[in-house]
Amino acid sequence: MSMLRLDQILMAAAVAAMIVFAMVSTSEESLNLISLILIWGLLAIGFDLIFGMAGMLSFGHAAMFGAGGYALALLAPQFGFLPSLLVAAVAGAALAFLLSVFALRVSGLFFSLLTLSLAQLVYILASTKLRAFTGGLDGIPGVLRPALFGVDFYNNRNYFYFLVVVFVIGVAIMALLRISPFGSALKAVQANDVRAEQIGYNVQRLRQCAFMISGAYAGVSGALLASLMFYVSPQMLHWSTSGDVLIMTLLGGKGTLLGPVLGVAVFEVLKEELSQFTEHWYGVLGIVFILCTIFLPNGIAGLFAVLGRGRKGASK
Amino acid sequence: MSAGNVSLQCENIQVAFGGLKAVAGVSRSFQSGRIYGLIGPNGAGKTTLMNALSGHATLAAGQVILNGRDITKLSVHARTRAGLGRSFQITKIFSGMTVLENLKLAAFAHRYRVQPFWMPAGRFAEIRQDAEKVLAQIGLERLAHAPAENLSHGDQRALEVGLALLSDPSVLLLDEPLAGVGHERLEQALELIRRIVAGRTVLLIEHNMDVVMQISDEIVVMVQGQLLGSGTPAEIRANPAVRAAYLGNDE
Repeated sequence: MSMLRLDQILMAAAVAAMIVFAMVSTSEESLNLISLILIWGLLAIGFDLIFGMAGMLSFGHAAMFGAGGYALALLAPQFGFLPSLLVAAVAGAALAFLLSVFALRVSGLFFSLLTLSLAQLVYILASTKLRAFTGGLDGIPGVLRPALFGVDFYNNRNYFYFLVVVFVIGVAIMALLRISPFGSALKAVQANDVRAEQIGYNVQRLRQCAFMISGAYAGVSGALLASLMFYVSPQMLHWSTSGDVLIMTLLGGKGTLLGPVLGVAVFEVLKEELSQFTEHWYGVLGIVFILCTIFLPNGIAGLFAVLGRGRKGASK
Repeated sequence: MSAGNVSLQCENIQVAFGGLKAVAGVSRSFQSGRIYGLIGPNGAGKTTLMNALSGHATLAAGQVILNGRDITKLSVHARTRAGLGRSFQITKIFSGMTVLENLKLAAFAHRYRVQPFWMPAGRFAEIRQDAEKVLAQIGLERLAHAPAENLSHGDQRALEVGLALLSDPSVLLLDEPLAGVGHERLEQALELIRRIVAGRTVLLIEHNMDVVMQISDEIVVMVQGQLLGSGTPAEIRANPAVRAAYLGNDE
């Protein structure tokens, strides 16, 4: 059971190949694109902890994503980059905690709707009421990059290596969480919450912990994006961000560690390519998404699973 | 825990759905080490009483006392920790997982208040031992690695009981543990229940009169949200009030 399956190895290889490609390629565009994929990938693997493992559909991840961005933008000039990145994680977890206090009173669709509305509240606060801190709709320009070991992270290639390190740490922690007893408990909650409660799991506490960890991932991801773009704006907090990460996760395959990252990759590449041909790229992406949910219900990870099984069958 | 100690006590338990009193003041104590059969017509409030005991129904009034401790205000999982186990009328198992994985989940829930997140679940040898012990008790060793949802109905009922057993409950509430178990498996299922009760108090709801009379030390009759009476199976068969209310149309 703890043995790595072939499809998991293949997915890891695909992600590794993508990172290596960015390293050897001289193209600035592909470097930028893959940087974006790693950042959104962190958001998506965090999102899948609650969506794929615990079965909770959050429409509020934009709030934690944006909170991380703003935390870094506001704090990095005073406290330095790494401490602020840590605070961005804490901010994401803290906001997730706040949201969960209300949203976890209900479950299913109502949980989704409450997270959506609470996140929109954060969006409105950031874009209007808290203008003095957040710069309102203009956002905050000039977000810092890390200053470490005398390396110039304002060079995109150097910053990419920084992203790879954070990404690998994030994936490693998540991989452990998912196969730990904590991860098993989340699966139990998804499979049958009444039974999970009955055998002694504190189901609400488990959901809350998962939501906060997921929020921390969103916070870090948002901070890294703000730093990549040198800019943070309420657009990060907009509900469509929450929708995007849901589409990415479903496209890649929910309930798998690296599937969501592959989903992000397909999403970002399609967006990049399609937007060169038509301004209606979002619509075309929507059609792709609909076709995928019909023909690839388990996402790209499902393709890999079929591939893995095929090999196994052939070798016997 | 010698026989004769009260392990579960109900004090004037009331559960209301709107204006309807599903359980209308039940007071009764249950002694440890005995099997109680809870019988009564449909709608008598048997499952609702069980829900009140396990924490799934909100009490309008009354108290639930487990081994001398008032558990009325505890949540479902806290009651499980306090020693109250439960199986459900409608099978609730973890589908998408094997039988052994199902049991391991219950073992983790029992052993750890905070679920370990720093180590792969497969590394916990004692969890596997706990799960395998119960697996043998419920006689499903040959199905350890079968997906739980593929089990026959009777085997799923056994797994239900196994999940409850892993919390080592002092009181076990079994809601129709034999429902849908085929005739040829019935004796085996009864044997399982007899085997697991050692030292525990069992309160079970069962509609098959022969079975419930055969396995119970004491029968408790419930009608219209209230306890009508109780006694040994022989006494209950002979009780005219019970016969009129419940057994009458049977014989």
